[in-house]
Amino acid sequence: MIQPKNKLTHLDNELHKLKAESIKMWALVLKQLHKSRTSLVNIDKDLAREVILSEKRVNAFELKIDRDCEDIFALFTPVAVDLRFLLAVLKINMNLERTGDNAETIAQSVVDLPAHFDRKLLEITRVVEMFDQANIMISDVMHAFDKEDTLIARKTFKKDDLLDEINDNSTAIITEYIASNLDKNLTGQALYIYSIIRKLERVGDQAKNIAEEIIFYSEAKVLKHQPKGKKSGLDE
Amino acid sequence: MENTVLKAEDFNAYFGQNQILKNIRLEIRKHQVWAVMGPSGCGKTTFIRCINRMHELTAGATVSGSLKLYGEDIYKMNPVLLRRKVGMVFQRPNPFPTMSIYDNVISGYLLNHIRLTKAQKDEIVESTLKRAALWLEVKSTLHKRGTFLSGGQQQRLCIARALAMNPEILLLDEPTSALDPISTAKVEELVYELKSEYTILIVTHNMQQAARVSDRTAFFFLGELIEQDDTKVIFTNPKNEKTQNYITGHFG
Amino acid sequence: MVILLSLISTLPLLLILFYIFKKGISAINWHFLVSLPKPVGETGGGISNAIVGTLMLIGVAAVLAIPVGILIGIYLSETPKGRIAYNCRLAVDVLQGIPSIVIGIIIYEWVVVPMGGPSSFSGSIALGLMMLPAIIKSTEETLKLIPEALKESSLALGVPYYTTVLRVIVPSGMSGIMNGVLLSIARVVGETAPLLFTAFGNHWMNTNIFKPTSSLPLIIFKYATSPYTEGHKLAWGASLILIIMILVLNLITKLVERKWRTPF
Repeated sequence: MIQPKNKLTHLDNELHKLKAESIKMWALVLKQLHKSRTSLVNIDKDLAREVILSEKRVNAFELKIDRDCEDIFALFTPVAVDLRFLLAVLKINMNLERTGDNAETIAQSVVDLPAHFDRKLLEITRVVEMFDQANIMISDVMHAFDKEDTLIARKTFKKDDLLDEINDNSTAIITEYIASNLDKNLTGQALYIYSIIRKLERVGDQAKNIAEEIIFYSEAKVLKHQPKGKKSGLDE
Repeated sequence: MENTVLKAEDFNAYFGQNQILKNIRLEIRKHQVWAVMGPSGCGKTTFIRCINRMHELTAGATVSGSLKLYGEDIYKMNPVLLRRKVGMVFQRPNPFPTMSIYDNVISGYLLNHIRLTKAQKDEIVESTLKRAALWLEVKSTLHKRGTFLSGGQQQRLCIARALAMNPEILLLDEPTSALDPISTAKVEELVYELKSEYTILIVTHNMQQAARVSDRTAFFFLGELIEQDDTKVIFTNPKNEKTQNYITGHFG
Repeated sequence: MVILLSLISTLPLLLILFYIFKKGISAINWHFLVSLPKPVGETGGGISNAIVGTLMLIGVAAVLAIPVGILIGIYLSETPKGRIAYNCRLAVDVLQGIPSIVIGIIIYEWVVVPMGGPSSFSGSIALGLMMLPAIIKSTEETLKLIPEALKESSLALGVPYYTTVLRVIVPSGMSGIMNGVLLSIARVVGETAPLLFTAFGNHWMNTNIFKPTSSLPLIIFKYATSPYTEGHKLAWGASLILIIMILVLNLITKLVERKWRTPF
């Protein structure tokens, strides 16, 4: 058997497999997010129910990846970049699972939306725009993870600005809406949208966490708990 | 059951009155890599030496119980013929110093007066050295003496020497204890690659090595087989407290 | 300081060599080497029969002693304990200490008398006995130094025990064994006393091992104790030849040892 110089070791193979599993989980979570968004835009309750059912698969992935990480730690006692990679995967795993949870909760909200939904709510809150941006962020960090591209990861921090903006404005807008439409039904709808916005804010947070982990393992730099300007590393 | 390469049942070994191994039961299947680990004096080396009947070369050494190779009782076989079916690699690399690398590889045939044509010899030497990941490094110096190689290369040569006899099971007795870390890593990778063609039993006092290299692990302590299981299980969640204590470094 | 001491210890050897060289060189010429000795008192003559005799004696002694010695050495190195081995070693040590003349007398009784007369063969037996302890001991010591792992790896390949010893262990120790053999030869090549009653000496050229034969030590003895100066000159010449032979043997030993040495 020919031995090229940079042959993959047993451990390398295991890490590659782990990465592939993570990407698969990511793709699933993204799909959940997209379906959830579409179900919101079209108030498609059947599609929303699909999202709720698929949540099991996301959980199963999380358990498997956790177990695989544990096995690799036990069997190979990895060090340096391999160790950081595994620690990052564990945390990313947790964040992805929560993102999946969020997608499911949003879908549940869609299912629970009362009849005759007022589309104007979607427009004034810009919730769809927020949803799109959140999905882009999750998709971006997936690419960053896959390609080990910390530049893409860093751009995520800036993208969160839009989410913050929409989130910050949402309280005022929804309060205004409720005040001007003293209807139990419409108030209920507005509150659902409010909770969806909150969940999307968390999805944004998770994307940022994941970005931090990717930068940590690639560059051994810890960006947690740093002010935003320092994180992106880009000139403001 | 053709899948079982080695089966030990209520196997015991003694040095005179001293009982070294107590009631060992285990079963090794084809293409498995088993690691046998435990603190010094636990009987792991004695066990491996019973498999090819090197144990009895010491005066006063006896055994009882059953140890079978592919269903045949090892202690009823001709020891010389048995040893041709069981390959062994020792702790210190020891290629035959008077022979060239080429002759070392086929020494099992040469010393046993098994006739081979030149073409057969060439083929065995090349394919075995390739399997031992040594071919590229020595193919232009096959006729030099084996002792001019580095320690790690010598050990791979010893592995090639054992592989050349197409053993039914390959026994490695702490094969990397005397090697530097890079050579150790190379030998471990080699074991991982050989798994697809051979059945391997590796004795080691380095439990990280046992974790990296094997599919199944057996933990010996004071002559008893305390626990045997998938390596993943032993290292993430051993069932016996002694095993856990050993792995976490609380004794031994 | 160390250099001074080394010089002092080599000084006697150098003086002896120089002296013998000086005294013997005048006797050496081609004629000396190839002709037979003249009757005592006459000028001229040589030591050709002594040279041939020495070679014959040593040759046969080697053929007798080497295989036996090596085999016993192998046995002892493989048997560290045991009554037979213990007694064997004791016997070898005692044999080493027996004076050469006593060996000569014994061989006279055991071999010369039954054979009806002196012969080169009996001389070889005596010399062979004297060679044995050195060969046995050096073989045993050399083989004991060989790592046990070598034997084990051969046995683990399914090689039977005797084949392992003969084709793996002994060849690995060949350097040390050869060393012992050559040194034992160098030791006995100059022995005189055992040859007095056994090989006995011979004026004529002899190539039959069952007949008495001359040898260098014997001829030195004979001529050095004769009253004639011509004889003395021959004795010095023969001494020089003998010394040269021993020197060459030692040099060969060193070369062989270095070339054949097997690293472990």
